[in-house]
Amino acid sequence: MNENLFASFITPMILGLPLVTLIVLFPSLLSPTSNRLINNRLISLQQWMLQLVSKQMMSIHNAKGQTWTLMLMSLILFIGSTNLLGLLPHSFTPTTQLSMNLGMAIPLWAGAVITGFRNKTKASLAHFLPQGTPTPLIPMLVITETISLFIQPMALAVRLTANITAGHLLIHLIGGATLALMSISTTTAFITFIVLILLTILEFAVAMIQAYVFTLLVSLYLHDNT
Amino acid sequence: MPQLDTSTWLTMILSMFLVLFIIFQMKISKHNFYYNPELTSMGMPKQNTPWETKWTKIYLPLSLPL
Repeated sequence: MNENLFASFITPMILGLPLVTLIVLFPSLLSPTSNRLINNRLISLQQWMLQLVSKQMMSIHNAKGQTWTLMLMSLILFIGSTNLLGLLPHSFTPTTQLSMNLGMAIPLWAGAVITGFRNKTKASLAHFLPQGTPTPLIPMLVITETISLFIQPMALAVRLTANITAGHLLIHLIGGATLALMSISTTTAFITFIVLILLTILEFAVAMIQAYVFTLLVSLYLHDNT
Repeated sequence: MPQLDTSTWLTMILSMFLVLFIIFQMKISKHNFYYNPELTSMGMPKQNTPWETKWTKIYLPLSLPL
């Protein structure tokens, strides 16, 4: 059963050719781009939503931080669309792959931290020592703050992976339980089915929330460092 | 856990780089940010030509020789 349970998380390859690239490319087909002055409904709606999100998320940054708008908006669009598409049955969700999430988290976090180091060296080093600590505690606190800084990209990546993977696994398990229970007792199967519906609604929310949280945290690291 | 099988990691990361950093950013960079409609300043008021300063009955449409 373990073999079957994790089968949907294996990177899809066909005869050694990476099918996964096409799967990762697919959400970009769903947001068409157009150069017209007046666009059709779909494009207008997507542009409006994206501009709403960008106004909400980038208003806290100064001019230097706002140069990251394109990156952060494409990040939230990518993670959100990938997570939502992963809720379709038999689909592959790229954000369940730890490799991809590490590849997203580490460069973005490192970019924010290195920007801070280069431009505001004193202020970014000052983050290691919160104000008002008693003198004997200083060495221990510096070590703690360093560890907490370096764990930020790992936490970003593992948080996204674990949340989406766990959600998919739960849906698999409860769906399988409903199916197995149907022949034994219909009432219990019905209750399990209600649980499945609630779980799916939760997963829709989680899909979008995780995208938001990822982008928000990167934006916070950026805010600290610009 | 199949996510820990590092043989596919390079493919995964490269496809993500392609999509996230290139494709999506190219799409979003083409979005237009419209300005809100604003009143234009009126500038100089229209000067009346000499024949418009006085209303004469030749402007009445019924009296025009057409």
